Amino acid sequence: MGTSSVVVISAGLSQPSSTRLLADKLGAAVAAGTDVELTVIELRDLAHHITNHLLTGFPTGELVSAIKAVTEADALIAVTPIFSASYSGLFKSFFDVLELGALEGKPVLIAATGGSSRHSLALEHAVRPLFSYLKAVVVPTAVYAASEDWASAGSTELSGRVGRAARQLTALMAGAGSSSTAGKSVVKDPFADVLPFGEMMRARGL
Amino acid sequence: MQFGIFSVGDVTPDPTTGHEPSERERIKAMVRIAQKAEEVGLDVFATGEHHNPPFVPSSPTTMLGYIAATTEKLILSTSTTLITTNDPVKIAEDYAMLQQLADGRVDLVMGRGNTGPVYPWFGQDIRNGIDLALENYALLRRLWREDVVDWEGKFRTPLKGFTATPRPLDGIPPFVWHGSIRSPEIAEQAAYYGDGFLHNHIFWPPEHTQRMVQFYRQRFAHYGHGTPEQAIVGLGGQFFMRRKSQDAVREFRPYFDNAPVYGHGPSLEDFSSQTPLTVGSPQEVIDRTLSFREYVGDYQRQSFLIDHAGLPLKTVLEQLDLLGEILPTLRAEFASRRAPGTPDAPTHASLLAASKAKIEDASVSSVSSVSSVGK
Repeated sequence: MGTSSVVVISAGLSQPSSTRLLADKLGAAVAAGTDVELTVIELRDLAHHITNHLLTGFPTGELVSAIKAVTEADALIAVTPIFSASYSGLFKSFFDVLELGALEGKPVLIAATGGSSRHSLALEHAVRPLFSYLKAVVVPTAVYAASEDWASAGSTELSGRVGRAARQLTALMAGAGSSSTAGKSVVKDPFADVLPFGEMMRARGL
Repeated sequence: MQFGIFSVGDVTPDPTTGHEPSERERIKAMVRIAQKAEEVGLDVFATGEHHNPPFVPSSPTTMLGYIAATTEKLILSTSTTLITTNDPVKIAEDYAMLQQLADGRVDLVMGRGNTGPVYPWFGQDIRNGIDLALENYALLRRLWREDVVDWEGKFRTPLKGFTATPRPLDGIPPFVWHGSIRSPEIAEQAAYYGDGFLHNHIFWPPEHTQRMVQFYRQRFAHYGHGTPEQAIVGLGGQFFMRRKSQDAVREFRPYFDNAPVYGHGPSLEDFSSQTPLTVGSPQEVIDRTLSFREYVGDYQRQSFLIDHAGLPLKTVLEQLDLLGEILPTLRAEFASRRAPGTPDAPTHASLLAASKAKIEDASVSSVSSVSSVGK
């Protein structure tokens, strides 16, 4: 297996951001275990492009390369702050503008940050179903970091989860490497398999 | 090459004054705009078809029939005719009637429509959009080409011994274009029949238009209708013109910023660079329009959207005056760049002439075969 591409998506809004901090920790843990090329995408920088895409239906500027990177990645690390008991709107909007099939079969590590640990299950109730819908393969360990996890006492527990999630992602990627479809995007080129007219009519029962 | 305008027929309040035209005002404005199109020398006026507010043109042939009676040369077209939710029998009848009344000055652009609820309102399902477009159009073609039709399909009540009346003028069905932004199946359909393909063009980056047109051209040639360069292509376009570029930008910006389709999104400047929208001087509109052929090849119809986003009628008529002024330059410049052998868009007259030529060919060859028997 050669170098894999892992795209890290951070939906943190502040500078510096604990979401980015967690994203970097996860990225480093994955990179420590296998030969990967990490690309970090800060959704804050793409916020205008994402809104414009929602309104016009086509990507512009840096969003074009971000979507390409995500679609072509071997695996994703997706990190969102928890807002109002769920992923942030910006995080969701980014996944809303991806093409159908962009994440199909792709290993994804999900993680989130919040002010208190009381919202940690948002990862299970909101973030995991989102990626299940998108047909991604989500690692069993989702990583949540509350404010207290950044204190020295909580940090070993967080590091443990980060390490476990990273190992699970790496294992999934290794498995994906042996199969022909997993991890590779199945975004269809709409022009690739247009049936000739007669066949198209027959196939549609017309 | 044909130049024209197309209208969506939206009732949108003028964002600079808050004035919202009544339906009557808007309908009359569309008629006035069409008449003005002929006055300034344009070739085509096309109306949209919608069955939900804030749009007024639900009954295109009523409007186009009225316009036909008050114009002489203008080709009356659609942008688009809903081939999915209209009964193809009614399309066949309505447009043959219009064609008879308008002395052949009629063609149609077929579209699927992307307003979800319109489908169930007309007893259909948007998930069958492509199937409806394919089947309904196949029936429509037969209704215009065969005097008596027996037919059974997936969607419509079967027909036995049915004759659509009136018959197309001179036995020549109206020329049909197929419009689609991103469904290659529709480009395939247009290519198969040797019909025209018209890309809306105005809301997306040019690469999308280019890819669809290229695909259509290749498939057109595949089905033996000619070379890829002989396929019949139309494009949408969108401009706002003033003599001075800065005046155009200043005046159009509030309309752009509040427009129903792209308002409150990208800036006027960004959208202008990403899509064919051109806001500027007459020379800028000329230059931009001439650039379209660089990515779709020589094409047959350029249709502009100019009455939308709440622009008042007076402003739209001024836009038409300006378009009329640059029209001779556009025609000359396009003609000088055009590859030899590029066909014009078919009209009733050209289709009639081609049909007569074909009949004469056939009779000449049958005469010669008779004489060879005699030898």
